[in-house]
Amino acid sequence: MTPDLEQADRHAAVRNAACAWRRAGVIDDAALAAVAARFPDDRVRVGPVFRMLLFIFTLVAVSAGFGLVGIFVDAREHAVPFLAVVCGGVLAALTEVLIGPRRRRQGGIEAATSFMAAGCLLGAAAWWLVLDLHTDSTAGLAVFCLVSAALLAAAAWRWGYPLYAGAAAAALLAALAQLPFGRLLWIVLPLAAAPVLLRLAVSPRLPPAHRASCTAVLAVALTGLYLAVHVRSWEAGTIEEIGRGQAARGTGHDILWWLAAAATALVPLAFLAIGIARRRYPLLLLGVATVVASLVTLRFYVHVAALWVILTLSGAFVVALVFALRRYLESGPAGERHGFTAAPLFQDLARSRLLEAGAAVLTLTPAARPLREEPKFEGGGGEFGGGGASGQF
Amino acid sequence: MNPDVAQAVPELVESGILPPATAPLLLRVARGELVSVHGELRALLYAGVLLLTGGAGLLVEQNLDRIGPVAIAVALGLAALAALAWVVRVAPPFSWGEVPSPNLAFDYVLLLGVLLAAADLAYVEVKFTPLGAQWPWHLLIVALLTGVAAFRFDSRVVFSLALSTFAAWRGVAVGRLGTVLWAYTGAVRWNAIGCGVLFAALGLVLVRTCRKAGFEPVAVHLGWLLVLGGLASGITESGATGIDWAGALLLVGAGLAAGAFWFRRFPLFAFGVLAAYIGLSRLMVKVLDLEALGCLWFCVTSILVILGLLWAQRRMKEPA
Repeated sequence: MTPDLEQADRHAAVRNAACAWRRAGVIDDAALAAVAARFPDDRVRVGPVFRMLLFIFTLVAVSAGFGLVGIFVDAREHAVPFLAVVCGGVLAALTEVLIGPRRRRQGGIEAATSFMAAGCLLGAAAWWLVLDLHTDSTAGLAVFCLVSAALLAAAAWRWGYPLYAGAAAAALLAALAQLPFGRLLWIVLPLAAAPVLLRLAVSPRLPPAHRASCTAVLAVALTGLYLAVHVRSWEAGTIEEIGRGQAARGTGHDILWWLAAAATALVPLAFLAIGIARRRYPLLLLGVATVVASLVTLRFYVHVAALWVILTLSGAFVVALVFALRRYLESGPAGERHGFTAAPLFQDLARSRLLEAGAAVLTLTPAARPLREEPKFEGGGGEFGGGGASGQF
Repeated sequence: MNPDVAQAVPELVESGILPPATAPLLLRVARGELVSVHGELRALLYAGVLLLTGGAGLLVEQNLDRIGPVAIAVALGLAALAALAWVVRVAPPFSWGEVPSPNLAFDYVLLLGVLLAAADLAYVEVKFTPLGAQWPWHLLIVALLTGVAAFRFDSRVVFSLALSTFAAWRGVAVGRLGTVLWAYTGAVRWNAIGCGVLFAALGLVLVRTCRKAGFEPVAVHLGWLLVLGGLASGITESGATGIDWAGALLLVGAGLAAGAFWFRRFPLFAFGVLAAYIGLSRLMVKVLDLEALGCLWFCVTSILVILGLLWAQRRMKEPA
């Protein structure tokens, strides 16, 4: 990232925080304007809706342009990767121009051109390294994963998109899976990298985009670690399957199986514990997600009770847990304990409420009645209404 | 945690922009010394409600013979009653304006109560058929009761559920809009459009009368999604019918985009632009059936749309 882009991102972080303070009523409009004047924006930015529209239409324009060029030059099969490389190069240069001299940031267009640039170059690499190398596809795949990791990491470093950093980490893990001790590397490397990434993710020396990239890499690395120690993954040989396309299944309930079973239970708890101790959202979220995954795994091996009992009890437990946590946090001095609070602080509640309403529509809406079946009513059909469960009795 | 903000706060206090009294709280949040788990607790509650309603659904389905219909209906009713009783006990007095939730769990306990009550009603209807041949009306009853609960307790989540249940009564699966959109045919398509118009009009009435105006975005966005989804489902029809639907989608989408531009409604502007572009492209692709011309069309028109969007963005000034 260029120094002026880094500075622009730092200023944007302060202005965003000031907007949140204004929403919460901590500062007034005059103070907000003063913050904006002190931390000015020299970038061309657009709001989220226009950003999304510009991103979509840029993707359409570039894809159609790619197709058009292909038709005009009458591209034969072997010319396609060359065309992709040329397009990727042009789009990468265009991204440089848009982010550099044109000073665009959060503008949609430059995100789309960077995305298409990475896509074209990766597509060409996949063509040459995976599809053309029929003799040793494993080696080709490994090289392709490494090339992808390098390309995506460069894109994340240069243009400051955390998504590319996360994808680069995933590609690197996929490359490591090709090696003989892939699973071991999936465990050792995340363990070694996690402390460094945790520090870098909050380092003031790094620009905000690179801090977010470190967080993305951390999340992917720790997910890889969990997958590597997961007992079911050990049994099914998931990592080995990623690496060599064939599963090397673990044999029986040996010592490694028991170690994997213990790790499946303990690693999520470790994530949660570190997340709570360091008050870090990514680890907390990862901890909750992996706890749920481990509980589902437990149900796979141990039939504790019928599914409806499990669902009802776990639902009741979660609701009770939230009540207890809320009460515990609110009863602390100034409504906080150990640096955590149940108060919303500076969150955008209006946006959250609208998202919750959308989620309710998507997940809890009852099944629609079939219009054509009305005349055939015999008294024994129908769907649940409003309950979100559409069952037949 | 945000080191840039942590660095900026003392500067802002020194320059007199921030009141010194606010600095300690802002600094603690920026340094990650104070973390809000408000959103996370609400997400957990949502997951808990999903698990509970899913478990209740399975309980009913798998244990019907063993427990008996009366016991199941009573159990569901009691559970719903318990949740709603808690809501009634802690709810603030009714107001047509916005009423803040008394606590973090309020919305979701209300949602749980409503869902369990709705499931109970549906179960009673299926097992004991009190409505007979008119059984689909139970969805309308549920929608109305849910709507009343949403207004009384000022819950947008429950209001969205009321609207989607109403649409379900008309045969429109709102929750699966993306996946079943293209399967909308005949009556369902018209019902989707009708429901959409009704919801959008309801949103307008709510704002005009200043009664629960906070519900307006839910009603209007859902309404326009249904209208555009209904129109878009028609463009896959073959022959002149598909062309007619594409023309209608173009006109309605363009009209919506223009109105949203005027009133600075950003998501509605996006709906309108996308719908109009899909409608227009459907019409043009029918005419330009050569692949090169098709590519040229999408390439050139997308660039034109991008230029138009850049112009519109400068006029509308959406906050970044």
